[in-house]
Amino acid sequence: MSPSTGFASGSDSGGTPGSGGTTGSGGTTGSGDVATSRRPGPAAPLFASVLGNFALLLVITLGGFAYASVGSSARDQLITEMLISVVLVVGLQVFMGNTGVLSFGHLGFASIGAYTASLLAIPEVRKHVLLPDAPFGIGNIEVPVFSATIIGIAVTFVVALIVGVVVARTNGLAATMITLALLFMVDSVARNWTDLTGGAGNLGSIPRLEGRVWVLVCAAITISIAAAFRFSPIGRMAQASREDDLAARAMGVNSSMVRFVALVLSAGIVGLGGALRSQSLGTIGPSQFSFDFTIIVIAMLVVGGMQTVSGAIVGTAIITFGKEFFRFLGDGPQWLGIDWPQVEGLPDFFLAAVLLAVLLTRPAGLLGAFDAGDLVLRIVRRRRMKSTALLTPSAQPVRAPRAPLGDDSLVAHGLGVTFGGFVAVDAVTITVAPGEIRGLIGPNGAGKTTFVNLVTGLVEPSHGEVRLGERRVGTTPTRVARGGVARTFQNLRVFGGLSVRENIAIAGLVARRHRRHRPAIDADALLAASGLTAFADHPARALDYGNQRRLEIARAAALRPDFLLLDEPTSGMSDTESAAMVSHIRGIAEMVGAGVLVIDHDLGFITTICDHVTVLDQGRILAEGTPAEVKTDPAVVAAYLGSHA
Amino acid sequence: MTEILQNLADGLGAGSTYALFAVGVSLIFGVMHLVNFAHGELLTLGAYLAYWMLLREFGWWVVVPAVIGAAVLGSMSIEFVAFRRIRGANPFTLLLTSFALEVLSHAVWKVFVSSKRKPFATPEWAFESFAIGSVRFEWWNIVAFGVAVLSFAVTAFVLRRTMFGLAVRAAAEDFDAARLMGVKANRVISGAFAFAGLLAGIASSLILMRKGGAEPRMGADPLLKAVIAAVIGGLGSLPGAVAGGLALGVTEVFVRDLLPEDLGGLTDGLVFAVIALLFIVRPQGLFNVETAERV
Repeated sequence: MSPSTGFASGSDSGGTPGSGGTTGSGGTTGSGDVATSRRPGPAAPLFASVLGNFALLLVITLGGFAYASVGSSARDQLITEMLISVVLVVGLQVFMGNTGVLSFGHLGFASIGAYTASLLAIPEVRKHVLLPDAPFGIGNIEVPVFSATIIGIAVTFVVALIVGVVVARTNGLAATMITLALLFMVDSVARNWTDLTGGAGNLGSIPRLEGRVWVLVCAAITISIAAAFRFSPIGRMAQASREDDLAARAMGVNSSMVRFVALVLSAGIVGLGGALRSQSLGTIGPSQFSFDFTIIVIAMLVVGGMQTVSGAIVGTAIITFGKEFFRFLGDGPQWLGIDWPQVEGLPDFFLAAVLLAVLLTRPAGLLGAFDAGDLVLRIVRRRRMKSTALLTPSAQPVRAPRAPLGDDSLVAHGLGVTFGGFVAVDAVTITVAPGEIRGLIGPNGAGKTTFVNLVTGLVEPSHGEVRLGERRVGTTPTRVARGGVARTFQNLRVFGGLSVRENIAIAGLVARRHRRHRPAIDADALLAASGLTAFADHPARALDYGNQRRLEIARAAALRPDFLLLDEPTSGMSDTESAAMVSHIRGIAEMVGAGVLVIDHDLGFITTICDHVTVLDQGRILAEGTPAEVKTDPAVVAAYLGSHA
Repeated sequence: MTEILQNLADGLGAGSTYALFAVGVSLIFGVMHLVNFAHGELLTLGAYLAYWMLLREFGWWVVVPAVIGAAVLGSMSIEFVAFRRIRGANPFTLLLTSFALEVLSHAVWKVFVSSKRKPFATPEWAFESFAIGSVRFEWWNIVAFGVAVLSFAVTAFVLRRTMFGLAVRAAAEDFDAARLMGVKANRVISGAFAFAGLLAGIASSLILMRKGGAEPRMGADPLLKAVIAAVIGGLGSLPGAVAGGLALGVTEVFVRDLLPEDLGGLTDGLVFAVIALLFIVRPQGLFNVETAERV
């Protein structure tokens, strides 16, 4: 495994050598950085986002009124339609935007919410005519619209709880395919369970919504929920899993659980959207929640940018008004003094063309990671900045106080794994004492990374176990991380789209729940010690190679671990940088009071940093001892150092 | 027993066309991790070409090569115009782009031709049948199956015995390593699209001889079936795609046969339920390609 991954990380670094631990030497000037030392309270981004997106919704609604006032009567329904689409799209954003999983199934949830609410609310007299054989005694009850809608949402929740268990276990394409299957199953049932749904045709007599106030209120509630979720711990963990699922799990994030919560929440909102849709139309039918409409809803989200609520709102507006305009144009009107020819399919053409153009040129959507809340925050900050401009931040690395060491040793006992017939790691026993810095060294292919993967639950061991003192460490990456063993990756795995501060904060979230018995670590101090203060608000992927390495170590340290497992922290670095890394790792380890198992193939680096060294070759321990002992061991010299000496 | 044999015989033709599309989907997934939902639009392209040519009294023996040629060119141009620009993007973007292309294709036919079905004459033999014992065989099913088997034999030969096949298999295994070994990315991806187009063209010709009409959205359904077939067989696995396609075609006939008359519409829903069940049992197993991620 080592040779190819080693190469991969080497090529990752490309022509961007690390900046060697210099603090704030990057091209980040300007007042933005100063503000990081005087940020508003933790709830500020949420309030800003809700405020900003309310404003955005209002502007777009008013714009819609202006547009509708110059058009024909067909435009009257347009604003209601758009607001309902906002509910659906923002609801979808809660799941897709935060988890990064493409879902085709959400209109299935909308359909369930809509049918439940509609079937309950249709007047009893009409039901006897429309659905004479209705099951569950539905034919004899009539529920007020409001209660019916609430029940509709509740039923959607229940279905989502079941579906969520399946979807959340998977990720990526597999999850997408399950959601697609869900859509077709719901559609199939709606079309064929004629006794309950009236079949493929439309079912009328649904009490209609009067006015737009209710829809506007629902849209506002939806926006608030979506914004709240985005800044909630679970929402942020979902975003970490979206950026890099494996790294998120290795930081103690239970990514299945966060996906599950996101799915259920978003399904409930979309269920509400579905109910509103049939209430505004006064009819319900399977064709209202078809695959075609699914594509439209997804297009709305993707065109605007699915990462933020603002993206969802803007995309909804663009597609709604754009489609309406091209429908108008396709009807062959007289407009601007020209007789337009009658063309069918223009709205679809517009939809596909916009979606394709955005995907090919701006895959993150028109707004990308921008949220209206950012604008609000910026305005507020600029105001504050005037009064606090004289405050200078402490840009110098802070010597943080030493944290006390943990009590237990990390013991890998007889740990090994076999791939096919190949013994990658063969019954390795290593003990790392609290606070000890232990080196694990060996030539390429010795099984070093596999060993780390075994300890951290990424690879299931064929035999052996890992303990912290007497406790067995869990067998999944999430449990291992929560248990106190944090790791870094040989091929960098930062949460690229999240800010540097957020990368560390994610680990802090997990630590606050699962590592309470360890002393808290101040994120600002950790940033400062890593020389990352100046980049705190930059997306992690914008960092250079060396800084990304230090960020990964800082992120692992923020977990308040008992042990840090560092997989080739100096891979791809120059000698000077490696030397700087030595003192950096020592400093961080002292700061959190953790023992360290550091893996490398660079003997010079290992001998300067470690108290003890274990030499691994072909999956077995070749030698163990102080750096000096190991260096003179004949077996080591023959197997490993021979080529170097 | 007769009934089982009869269902098998009836499902063979549809299953073969699913398999032909599915192999293309799987092949493209192998080289660029894209589930290409635009692949089915090659059928629509072929259908309108066939309509145009048959209207001008060309025989099917000219139409078939033209349809196949159009599918190859169409597949290659889709890659050249759209997917080449976003190669290496995440599967999410790739998948959605192919969807956008599908919707665009639907719209283009609607805008420039019509949303109404354009009928054309099918060859006479496509609906004729013969009996062995008490089992009726439709000629179309037999021909479709035969052509598919032949196509798969050629595919297997190309992939196993030619430089192009070696390059495709290497790229599917590890694209970066393959490039380091001198495999040209453009050529192998373009070639995979061309080959997938060829198989799609063959499948289209078979479907058109039976369908006898062109509609803007006719490509969506066969493609969905093909994707399901490829997923069942494990994306990236060509024998899996063949097995998945045939299994799906036959299963559909069986389900339709088992369901009472008035629930016939549930066929698709049931098929999807089976697939969802598959994922519940083996969530990772069906997507081996993804779990092979390196750390």
